[in-house]
Amino acid sequence: MPGLIGARLRRREDERLVRGAGRFLADLRVRRCLEAVFVRSDTAHGWLRGVRLDGVRSVPGVVAAFAAADFPDVPVTPPMMDPQSARDRPWPALATDRVRHVGQPIAVVLAADRYVAEDGRDAAGVDIEPLPVLLDPTEAAGGAPLFEGLSNVADVKEFGAPVDEAVWRDAAVVVEGSYRQQLMAHTSLEPRAVLVRPDGGDRFTVWCSHQAPHRLRRDLAGAFGLAEERVRVIVPDVGGAFGGKSETYPEYLAVFAAARRLDRPVRWLEDRAEALTGPPHGRGQHQRTRMAATADGRILAYELLIDADIGGYPHTGAFVPLATSMMANGAYVIPRLHVRTRAVLTTTAPTAPYRGAGRPEAASAIERTVDLLAHRLGLDPAELRRRNFIQPDAFPYPTVTGYTYDSGDYPAALDVALRTIGYDGWRAEQARWRGTGGAPLGIGLCTYVERSGAGEEFAAVEACPDGTFVAVSGCCSTGQGHETSFPQVVASVLGVAPERIRLVERDTAAVPKGIGSYASRSMQTGGAALQRAAGKLVDEARRRAGELWGRPVREVEHHAGTLSSGGHRLPLEELVAATGALRAEETYAPPEAFPFGAYAAIVEVEPELGEVRVLRLVAVDDYGVVVNPLIVEGQGHGSAVQGLGQALFEEFRYAADGRPEQRGLLDYLLPTVSELPPMTFEETCTPNPNTPLGAKGAGEAGCIGVPPALVNAVADALQLDERDALQMPLTPYTCWSAARAGAAR
Amino acid sequence: MKPAAFDYVVAHSAGEAVAALAGGDTQVLAGGQSLILELNYRAARPARLVDINRVPGFDHLGVTDAALRVGPLVRHSAFADLDHGPLGTLLGRVAHHIAHPPVRARGTMLGSLAYAHPAAEWPAVVTTLDGRLVLTGGAGARTVAAADFFTGPFGTVRRPDELLTEVRLALLPVGTGVGFAEHRRTHASFAQLAALAALTVRGGRVDEVRVGLVNAADRPVRARAAERVLLDRPLDPAAFAEAGQAAAAEDADPRPQPYAGTAYQRHAVAVLVRRALDAAHRDLAPTGG
Repeated sequence: MPGLIGARLRRREDERLVRGAGRFLADLRVRRCLEAVFVRSDTAHGWLRGVRLDGVRSVPGVVAAFAAADFPDVPVTPPMMDPQSARDRPWPALATDRVRHVGQPIAVVLAADRYVAEDGRDAAGVDIEPLPVLLDPTEAAGGAPLFEGLSNVADVKEFGAPVDEAVWRDAAVVVEGSYRQQLMAHTSLEPRAVLVRPDGGDRFTVWCSHQAPHRLRRDLAGAFGLAEERVRVIVPDVGGAFGGKSETYPEYLAVFAAARRLDRPVRWLEDRAEALTGPPHGRGQHQRTRMAATADGRILAYELLIDADIGGYPHTGAFVPLATSMMANGAYVIPRLHVRTRAVLTTTAPTAPYRGAGRPEAASAIERTVDLLAHRLGLDPAELRRRNFIQPDAFPYPTVTGYTYDSGDYPAALDVALRTIGYDGWRAEQARWRGTGGAPLGIGLCTYVERSGAGEEFAAVEACPDGTFVAVSGCCSTGQGHETSFPQVVASVLGVAPERIRLVERDTAAVPKGIGSYASRSMQTGGAALQRAAGKLVDEARRRAGELWGRPVREVEHHAGTLSSGGHRLPLEELVAATGALRAEETYAPPEAFPFGAYAAIVEVEPELGEVRVLRLVAVDDYGVVVNPLIVEGQGHGSAVQGLGQALFEEFRYAADGRPEQRGLLDYLLPTVSELPPMTFEETCTPNPNTPLGAKGAGEAGCIGVPPALVNAVADALQLDERDALQMPLTPYTCWSAARAGAAR
Repeated sequence: MKPAAFDYVVAHSAGEAVAALAGGDTQVLAGGQSLILELNYRAARPARLVDINRVPGFDHLGVTDAALRVGPLVRHSAFADLDHGPLGTLLGRVAHHIAHPPVRARGTMLGSLAYAHPAAEWPAVVTTLDGRLVLTGGAGARTVAAADFFTGPFGTVRRPDELLTEVRLALLPVGTGVGFAEHRRTHASFAQLAALAALTVRGGRVDEVRVGLVNAADRPVRARAAERVLLDRPLDPAAFAEAGQAAAAEDADPRPQPYAGTAYQRHAVAVLVRRALDAAHRDLAPTGG
């Protein structure tokens, strides 16, 4: 159907969701289901000397309680993407001899309702002999080992050669920065959740609030020595994931083990207190940057050294700093790039990808550094960026870190951002304010490039005899609107109304294989796969029609769901009736794409107490071809607000004893609608050259672009020469302190 | 985050509520905006809750003998648009800063006083205005001055078998200027610090002044040093900053908070006191004092 790509179709799932008719894991009613509650470590690090569950088992209503010792083989947690560092560091479903973060599961209590299960939890006796607390990754790198005989540095990645001292010595200017990516909580509306139902014969149905059902099936089957086909994973409606639901967690294994042992369904619904404590946490990096440039602002060298806090186990977060290092280059031509990241074990809860998953960290490091360079040189930060951008004719552009940027027009995105926000006008305003002793006014920029998508995705399209179509995808919507946007892609190929197409995903029994939804990959990869599957279906239909009519395929035309040739005409559904089931499958693996954009922020820093007032925020993103702008805009808004959260409000803090300081959302502050600044979203469009669909990833951009733009704006407002005091979140206290330190210099 | 088991009784009169409290290990459910959270965290594990939401008359809010009398079921939102002169104006300005609208619709002033959260606004208001609190127990009622009521974070002189049944706030004289200034990180978060002020001027001199601080010490603070700077002196807005400095140096006793070192807190106290006094002064302006 012409014009469908780019149409603002309303999300079909919303009628269900906004009317309260969605079915999330907590809405499932499964007969005889038990609720699971975990006895968790209250100690950051220690030897587990004893677990006593007698008291638990005697609480009326408690059906069972298990510690590690109750299982002959305690299942260990399958790592995500990084078996190297995880192989020698087992993460048991329930702690065996040692705990490595507050909140680590020690025992699981089962009861018919959660109230009773929590009573049981409170009756547990746990003896832990404390060991040293390690909260700072740089200190932990050389600290007492969390795993005997193994370094706390779980992984080191290096790209490029160390930059010659001569370069630093001879450069006209060298700037250095030390930046912190704070730990964050994912805070999806719906926390983690899983339900395991034994179906007899050692077969299981698992419902999980998850991003990758096929991988979860593989992990669960592998952990319990089952053939994969014995496990069916269904993902019901999901209330947000943000990278924290891609993983397989100890709790899932413990729930599975308990259900299998008791031969009863068991459900675990994480509550907010558990969710905040984590895992997962997001971000958590100490970054040191160094950049050398010529006097006219040409970058000569950039060095990025990272110590990443990956928490007590490497299974879910060790690869995130790698993602940061691979995007270290940013949007610039950098003759000498050297990156080294260390993924360091500490006694915080394990980290995991959090919306952006390494790219916000990379963008923040280089964008803060570039801004500092402009400040040091007395150059306009927009102009300095222009002088160093990778130019539009330079694509495909290989980076030192091994990526190939597919396409881009970075100067164009910056120009749109500057024009939209009225950059020159604000610079004049700023000069006026400074001349008249007004409040500090700052203008901040971020020009980012990120990476989206990776690997293959499965898709199938089937024509049904009733004139409808089924689209099957290996992706897994956790709120992104696939039920609307995927049929939109298929309909555009078949030339039929999108209402005739129904999406099937999120069920391993209905989808033969799949990777899932993360890394902004769904439309770029899964959508592109569906487009190709639909194309294959049309090809097969034409072939069959040609056969039916005795005409050459090339003379069979397909238009709007109907085949024709010579005097013959046949709608697809009649072809199905005449020739049998018509289904096309596609497994498609386009390369990574590199969306980019430019953000601009105007802030006023209240001079007495240091509050940051965001006066304007402009986001210009280039996602390639946008299938459904309505959905993509929603993703832009959501990610920008999460970026605002990182920049100004959110931080997961640990006290010196290794216990979390925050107990709930009264302490861990999220931006709400009352905190939203005026935001404007614009786009440029540079189609993905590597797929016919042309879509790149969307959905994480705001988390990438907003924080550096805001930090740079505050640094500009306060006219800071030295910016290391300005660490996120930029609380009033932080800004006040930074301004005082700046004034004292 | 599910509460431990508790018994639940509904009181239909003050007597029934007090009788329930006499049974021991009982907590009062009014608005529940803090209690339910504490129950869910199992930080509070009372054997019994007595629900006072159905006690007739507990929602009384009116003036008798030149004092505003507030019952145990008066919600924060009830103060949003109150008459009663400068006192009503001040209470309305304060109420606007408490949490967010859904909390204000349920939470109560007396519940906030009894809970004594260090960052709560009402305890500082009643302390600064010399409020009187009526505690009713099995043996009858006693009245406690607000200055004597609060003993520390979450600490009051209320005995476990007593119900806070009324707060009395003397009306402020016509012509009193009132102001409130709060510093917090998001619209819905607790105050990091706040200050309130009430100012009366006669013959160009400060006749009466009250200054109070929220979350500036382990209990609500009446900022006497700040008041001394201004009292009986000619009205001079330039002195408001001096009063703020006095409050910061002498009245405040800040504890380290996340995202607020003590030096910052003292600085913020000075700023907020000055702002509260400025606001009070603006109130005065139309009549020229």
